[in-house]
Amino acid sequence: MVNENLVKDVVKEPYKYGFVTDIDTDKIEKGLNEDVIKLISQKKEEPKFLLDFRLKAFKKWQKMKEPDWAALGYKKIDYQDIIYYSAPKQKEKISSLDEVDPKLLETFDKLGIPLTEQKKLTNVAVDAVFDSVSIATTFREELSKHGVIFCSISEAVKNHADLIEKYLGTVVPDSDNYFAALNSAVFSDGSFVYIPKGVTCPMDLSSYFRINSGDSGQFERTLIIAEESSSVSYLEGCTAPMFDTNTLHAAVVELIALDDASIKYSTVQNWYAGDEEGIGGIFNFVTKRGKCLGKRSKISWSQVETGSAITWKYPSCLLLGEESVGEFYSVALTNNLQQADTGTKMIHIGPKTKSTIVSKGISAGKSKNSYRGLVKMGTKATGSRNYSQCDSMLIGDQASANTFPYIKSQQPNSEIEHEASTCRISEDQLFYLQSRGIEFEEAVSMMVSGFCRDVFNQLPMEFAAEADKLLALKLEGSVG
Amino acid sequence: MEIIEKIKTNTSDDNLTEIQKICLNKLQSSPLPNPKSELWRLSNKSKLSNFLDYTVNEKDSKFDIPYPKNSQSTIRLIIGENCQIKLIKKNYSIQQLSQDEIQKYIKEQISFFKQNENWSDLLNLSLSCKNNILGLKINGSKIPPIEIFSHASSNSLKAKTLVIFLEKNCDVELLQVNLGKENSSLSQSTFFCLKENSSVNHGVVSYGEKRSNLLNSLNVIQQKNSSYNLGSLHFRFNYARFEISIKQTAGNAKTNIKGMQITKKDEQISTYTKIEFNGPNGFLDQINKSLADDKSHAVFEGSIIVPKIAQKTDASQLSRNLLLSNFAQIDTKPQLEIIADDVKCKHGATISQLNEEELFYMRTRGITLTEASKLQLSSYFQEIISFIPISKDKWDLLDKLLHDD
Repeated sequence: MVNENLVKDVVKEPYKYGFVTDIDTDKIEKGLNEDVIKLISQKKEEPKFLLDFRLKAFKKWQKMKEPDWAALGYKKIDYQDIIYYSAPKQKEKISSLDEVDPKLLETFDKLGIPLTEQKKLTNVAVDAVFDSVSIATTFREELSKHGVIFCSISEAVKNHADLIEKYLGTVVPDSDNYFAALNSAVFSDGSFVYIPKGVTCPMDLSSYFRINSGDSGQFERTLIIAEESSSVSYLEGCTAPMFDTNTLHAAVVELIALDDASIKYSTVQNWYAGDEEGIGGIFNFVTKRGKCLGKRSKISWSQVETGSAITWKYPSCLLLGEESVGEFYSVALTNNLQQADTGTKMIHIGPKTKSTIVSKGISAGKSKNSYRGLVKMGTKATGSRNYSQCDSMLIGDQASANTFPYIKSQQPNSEIEHEASTCRISEDQLFYLQSRGIEFEEAVSMMVSGFCRDVFNQLPMEFAAEADKLLALKLEGSVG
Repeated sequence: MEIIEKIKTNTSDDNLTEIQKICLNKLQSSPLPNPKSELWRLSNKSKLSNFLDYTVNEKDSKFDIPYPKNSQSTIRLIIGENCQIKLIKKNYSIQQLSQDEIQKYIKEQISFFKQNENWSDLLNLSLSCKNNILGLKINGSKIPPIEIFSHASSNSLKAKTLVIFLEKNCDVELLQVNLGKENSSLSQSTFFCLKENSSVNHGVVSYGEKRSNLLNSLNVIQQKNSSYNLGSLHFRFNYARFEISIKQTAGNAKTNIKGMQITKKDEQISTYTKIEFNGPNGFLDQINKSLADDKSHAVFEGSIIVPKIAQKTDASQLSRNLLLSNFAQIDTKPQLEIIADDVKCKHGATISQLNEEELFYMRTRGITLTEASKLQLSSYFQEIISFIPISKDKWDLLDKLLHDD
């Protein structure tokens, strides 16, 4: 028998990113209407096409209904009780990082995000988003030498309006779904990446999202364009302070890969998940989609989802170009009263397209973890292939693990394979490891990381190590 | 849709049984299933309304079913033809259930019904009159195989209901055959109750003629240590739905399901299964095969539900599909909903066409492409057909499938 007390004795690691930064912010009134949207657009000095885009999305959003098909239960969100714009007050234009409010730098320092000069040695360029606004982007000059544009989306709207106008909303249309429409109407900031033809991005790009205020929602929008024969690896991390209230996070990410281009998008999501009683936590409703437009293009999603009270997220690939490739590697961990409904969509439209799905769900405590995925072979997807594997691990007899794969084929000359299994950490395995002198907690963590290895192997080096540690921390005290 | 109109208005008729009244009442507020619900969203709406277009004809016109020859050792029953059965032998007994017994059992089942999930049953029970309900209580062992027929004649809609109680320690082979005539609709609901230690090899073979429709639902309750084996085959229907619901009430039971559906032309055949484990040590092995050709559409949705109480459940589900034409469509959705942690649950799904390498191999040996495809198909079919009891040889099912145009 596993000693329950032993488990309970293990000191529980508190959510270490739960602090609040005390900083002056520029917030607008709660509530959402056309004037609020106009105000956001005005504050950001946006061109007319963007305001029109926002208003159009808002009109559509008003007519839409919040989706209820996911296996999630949460109290109704009052969309008029949210602040749609909140930004730290700082000088209007910042020429160097030294001018950024030191409090902000300190915040990101605490989070382990290298913004200050001396920490820039790690070869990762960072765009840091605080509440709704991007506060700093590092390594810009170095990147611009290669022609890579990496900046906040508000800056891109000003400096590269042509690209924004051409691509914004082409992958996730403004009326795609309820949360995407809301985002299109009120998005405040996010990252913009443009990799020119033939360029392999010299370093990993990274965005770090931080929610600081408890009553404002975060609506960021990311757009990545990889021109012909270019490639980029993009990392995304997120944390939030601990509040008793639920904060809404509705983001949209759009990726576009042209001929022979490749985009790798990795996420470690660690929003505040609420306490053990399920009070507080982030409602994470995210629409992420990539379009493999060009021949032989490739989009790869890898994600480690450990935070959020509610996760509703289906990073997808539209495989249009001939021989394009879509990948999805995911680890979703839920503990206590967390709920996650996550998965992917692989839509095969072009011929000889290929996709791989590897999803690992771990549910502990009283949580609910569902995989929901769609694989569709269109009529023109001759010679296409898909392979999906969804494994769930249950820890304790209160958690639930569900698998809902939707598979649809209209093309006889294509192949779809799907498999799913459910397992648990068995006492035999634990006993074996413990008898070899391995501590109980370490044994559990070894087994979990073995279970997730297929996904961790796909993560960039520094993320993989972080993810491994994160899972071990999150699971502490949950095996009994 | 005359029937729907009738449902809306016709509840006070004195000729109706209590069950009919209850079901009509349940249907009245929303006589059709919600087309957006998960269980009905892929269902072809115009085909469903075509199903309901025929008039209900309670009396059966004489209908020659092309039965294979009856061997002396099988017991043959036809639902709707006033057959009185009371067989009491040394080893076994087969007796008709009384109206009270049937009503009591069905009423209990209805209390669990949900509008969309059990719409087919509600429709069946509200239309099916006393004469079209057959109830049997089977007891004993070494029982001769039983064949039960259900059919709909041309230009009519028939609703037939079958209730079977398998008593303790009983062991039986039972083949159910549902036949549809040209332009007909058949609604068949079957209620099976397997008591402790009983075991059944159940076969369901349904085939129609041009433009025949079928709503076939099967509700099985399995008590402790019972074993339920189902082999099913559905083909040649303009529109057919096969809904299986199996509940292992106290776990410790075994369920084996091997089903197949074949669609051609513009047909649509769907299979929906829901298996619930309400106790520990349950076992399930399920395979569902679909073949879709021409412009047809085959659907499979299977859900396995393992609540907290169902520890040590061992369940596997496999959906294998062959898509043979550019215009055909296959949808499949195997689902797992698990809370118990000490379980072994897995599912798999594949969609592909005939294996090219195997075809090539056979052709290099001088076998024509048509013959080689047939050989491959026959091996694909055989796994299911060999699992259907009684039928194997005398029904020539394989032959029917391979030469079916």
